[in-house]
Amino acid sequence: MMAQSDFSRQSFLGQHSEQTLADTRATIVGLGGGGSHIAQQLAHLGVGRIRLIDPQEIDNSNLNRLVGATAKDVEEKTPKVKIAERLIKGIRPWIEVDVAQADWQNADDLIKDSHVLFGCVDGYRQRMYLESAARRFCLPYIDIGMDVTHLTDEQYAIAGQMIMTLPGGPCMRCMGFLTQERLEREENDYGDAGINPQVVWTNGTLASLAVGQFVRLFTPWFDGSRQFEWLELDGNNQFVARSRQPDYAIRGPCSHFPQTHLGDPFFELKG
Amino acid sequence: MKTICRATGQFLKEVRRDLERPHQFAAERVGFISVRAANTSENIVLMAEGYHPVADNDYVDDPTVGAMMSQEAIRKALNIALLQSVGMFHVHMHEHNGRPNFSRTDLREQMKFVPDFFKVCRNLPHGAIVLSCDSATGRVWFNSTAVADISEFNIVDTPMKVDILNSNGNVDTFA
Repeated sequence: MMAQSDFSRQSFLGQHSEQTLADTRATIVGLGGGGSHIAQQLAHLGVGRIRLIDPQEIDNSNLNRLVGATAKDVEEKTPKVKIAERLIKGIRPWIEVDVAQADWQNADDLIKDSHVLFGCVDGYRQRMYLESAARRFCLPYIDIGMDVTHLTDEQYAIAGQMIMTLPGGPCMRCMGFLTQERLEREENDYGDAGINPQVVWTNGTLASLAVGQFVRLFTPWFDGSRQFEWLELDGNNQFVARSRQPDYAIRGPCSHFPQTHLGDPFFELKG
Repeated sequence: MKTICRATGQFLKEVRRDLERPHQFAAERVGFISVRAANTSENIVLMAEGYHPVADNDYVDDPTVGAMMSQEAIRKALNIALLQSVGMFHVHMHEHNGRPNFSRTDLREQMKFVPDFFKVCRNLPHGAIVLSCDSATGRVWFNSTAVADISEFNIVDTPMKVDILNSNGNVDTFA
């Protein structure tokens, strides 16, 4: 089936990139506005095995941004993972797709042996937990998220970020993205323009940054020698810039994830 | 079931740097990589946690092999497995590029000491790895008599390296 695919337009990614991407196992946690875009792009790229984890079914409020969703899905309350699976299979039927309609903590089987973990979850605390899982199983972690803040009257600020961290390198706490203040503030109120506001074009921009980061990490297209990345999106002025925060926040090697905290805590050999 | 071995690029760089050091009389250096593990329904993932070089004075002067560990070196490695509940993988290096292979001597010697690790830590796999300058090959024991090839090495770095070996994941059992 691979022979029917024509990847000539992305052959600049490297001589072996087609096979590299076909051999890659990628897990996406959260198949809403951001995750559905990532699933679609990974399918176009030709990633060979895509794992999808999300407990939710679509509802009417998701239709403003969930790529691949239809009005019929809303009527039938289709699980978000099933919408993403249909989208992927529609693009490249040979891609192996594993889905779990569950919280990721109950589907970590689909994370442990992946090659990369995409986090598209709501809230800082969930990000912190998901990055912990990536560290525990020694995986690159690529996170996206957006927020809308009420300025004055009918004025709002849209902002978002794409962060990539690697085991052994600075984590989101080292970089100053996950702070105690933010975690505490989230306990009370996350976003103040309604319940977790999201829009399709910002989700799409952030997802594209995440997929670009993934391709840079897995193919020789561009020297991606940085051990971490934090790109900030100013959604109002429509520009992306590298965050300066890590320049000030990182103070030596990561101390948040001890090297001994690896693998299953109660591992038992099977059989 | 396949076995995936995973380490950061920085970790492997430090292991290679140590193994490349000359020894007073041994032709090559050896050490142990301690691992922790995770199960999935399809695979076992081994994650490199620490590197334990064999001390200079724990080599035996034996010109018939590249490096011969003393009983004390093995005792120290067994001790780490026992006290830290980790899998232990013997490691050495062949200084060339491309996929390395175990020599017949390597395979014979592994059979002598790897099964002993199950006496002190039976819940984790143990084994042996040979590195080249840019690749690796490995064997994993699931108990004192069942051994398989490591199917895949993941080097978590920039760029990320996924090295899939032509292994079917089959386990060979021997008495």
